Amino acid sequence: MGAIIETNNLRAYYITKAYGVERTVKAVDDITLRIQEGEVYGIAGESGCGKSTLLRVLLNAYQPPLTVVGGEVIYNLDGERLNAADMTEEQNRDLRWRKLSYIPQGSMHVLNPVRRIRDSFHDFISAHRDVTKNESYAMTAEYLRDLGLPEKVMRSYPHQLSGGMRQRVTIALATILWPKLIFADEPTTALDVVVQRGVIQMLKDVQQKEGSTLVLITHDIGVHANLADRIAILYAGKLVEEAETRTILNEPKHPYTRYLIESLPNLDSREELMSIPGRPPALDRPPSGCRFHERCPLAQDICKTIEPELIQIAPRHFTACHVVEEELSHAQAV
Amino acid sequence: MQLLRTYILPRIAQWAVVIFVGVTVTFLIPRFSPVNPIDDMISRMTAFQTIDPQAVVAMRANMEDLYGLDGSLLDQYIAFWRRLLAGDLGPSFQNFPAPVSEIIGAGLPWTVGLLTTTTLISWLLGIFVGSLVGYFQHQTWAQVLERLVIVIYPTPYLITALILLIVFAFYIPLFPMVGGAQGSPALTWNYISSILRFGFLPAMSIVIGGFAFRFIMAKALSTTEIASDYVQYAELAAVPKRRIVMSYVIRNTMLPHVNDLALSLGAMFEGALIVEVMFGYPGLGSKLFTAIGTSDYNIIMGITLLSIVGIATGSLIVDLLYPVFDPRVRLR
Repeated sequence: MGAIIETNNLRAYYITKAYGVERTVKAVDDITLRIQEGEVYGIAGESGCGKSTLLRVLLNAYQPPLTVVGGEVIYNLDGERLNAADMTEEQNRDLRWRKLSYIPQGSMHVLNPVRRIRDSFHDFISAHRDVTKNESYAMTAEYLRDLGLPEKVMRSYPHQLSGGMRQRVTIALATILWPKLIFADEPTTALDVVVQRGVIQMLKDVQQKEGSTLVLITHDIGVHANLADRIAILYAGKLVEEAETRTILNEPKHPYTRYLIESLPNLDSREELMSIPGRPPALDRPPSGCRFHERCPLAQDICKTIEPELIQIAPRHFTACHVVEEELSHAQAV
Repeated sequence: MQLLRTYILPRIAQWAVVIFVGVTVTFLIPRFSPVNPIDDMISRMTAFQTIDPQAVVAMRANMEDLYGLDGSLLDQYIAFWRRLLAGDLGPSFQNFPAPVSEIIGAGLPWTVGLLTTTTLISWLLGIFVGSLVGYFQHQTWAQVLERLVIVIYPTPYLITALILLIVFAFYIPLFPMVGGAQGSPALTWNYISSILRFGFLPAMSIVIGGFAFRFIMAKALSTTEIASDYVQYAELAAVPKRRIVMSYVIRNTMLPHVNDLALSLGAMFEGALIVEVMFGYPGLGSKLFTAIGTSDYNIIMGITLLSIVGIATGSLIVDLLYPVFDPRVRLR
């Protein structure tokens, strides 16, 4: 199966100008991705590393000051190859919900507070399908039943539902038209662990029912471990490592990824967990060379000046690190 | 029934208390005024002729009795309530012996007709256009419209009225200058069309001002609303813009608008004083204006009482209607 969405050297910057001073925040810098049809692709990274910005661009729903300054986003939907930059407003609206959809961050507030759930569903369905109110009510009822949500939420107002229920309703609302490509932005953040589990299960169900592609963005490696087939690690607007979930968890190569994995609690060990020294860099003046060098215990002189390239170190395993690259060339020489 | 006992009944009791206090204050204030209407009248009568002092004393007693100004303050107060509850607001001082209720009754349909129509029109138009401009605030037409309204908004409506009067009644005599209607009241097209023709300019001057105020309010409210997560999400999902404006933006800003509407409708009984005086419109505003000029207490009091009841009732209705407009309103 081919890539359903791909980006080539994508650069998206926030460009603001105030009193003649131009400020550029390089939130997404030179990212190349191939997301395969039917897979669950996880994007991980700490706050402020450009995850949500990348998602906005992938969704083709961004406004100034966010600007794509280089590279491209390409959709391969139903045998049609579409370059996001060339799409008209009309094409964009057509694609939404029918082909690609979005489960937002903070789903708590995305439901209209003065509308019953079934009417919100009707708004979203009728925007893309020629249906009467009763038809969309029936569609909604059936879909909610399939997903195991109680029927009475149909007549409820959002404030009458619990946080977890609201999140599940939002997932249903985002996927009611069976989109091929689903983006989920921090779908479990701000939910307690028990509810998280239910939401993860529901995402899994939704994804598996139609074999949709799910792009999952969260800082929570635990959620990725549960859901994702492949994980991309983002650091300061750069892709630093990409591999299958198992590989990332068991054999992380990039020092940043290693820190991330080591900071996870482990059932077997009782050691104190390490946190990564320092703090993420400001993206309006990113460090030279490798953006992680200031916090990296393995940093060498080359890391301070030359940006590492993303290289393949094993089948389906990519990383961008001078040290790893060097080790690898040593191993090959021996 | 829980709701009835813990919310509706206390709210109605509060309404009664507000009216009671309002009526009491209305009763007291003119009586603390240094001007005594009877002295006023007697001195006007005796200014040009001499009258037998005994006749003057008898006349004063007579008038005090008639106007309800005899006895102690408490006696007057009790008598005042008794007459009020019987629907008797006393006679007009100036148009004696015409009862106040009759004079108010004659002005009421004009004012109520004029103000209900204009308030509703400016309310609907203001909310609709204001929310549209708030939603499409980056479009040129919206920005032009907004600048225009910002110029109109601070213009006092007596100036708007004056301009309309000069332009459309004097230079281009499309509309009559003074009055409420032509001919004798009847259900004929002639009479009704004359009501519309006479009412047009006064209505326009009220609508323009009221529209500008509501436009600015609706624009401000919808500006916050379009930044909300649910509007953004609906936009992302390509929900039609018409649906977003109506069911998402406007629907979520209704509470303050409904409040404003009820209070404006309640305040209607004060009449639109300036416009009515300016256009010689035969409504409550004109009556109030004349009454103030001639210290005709009973009429002033009658109109004040009416507006107290109007505003108290307006806000009572809003409070009872809140849950209809916002499902989140719940009794705690």
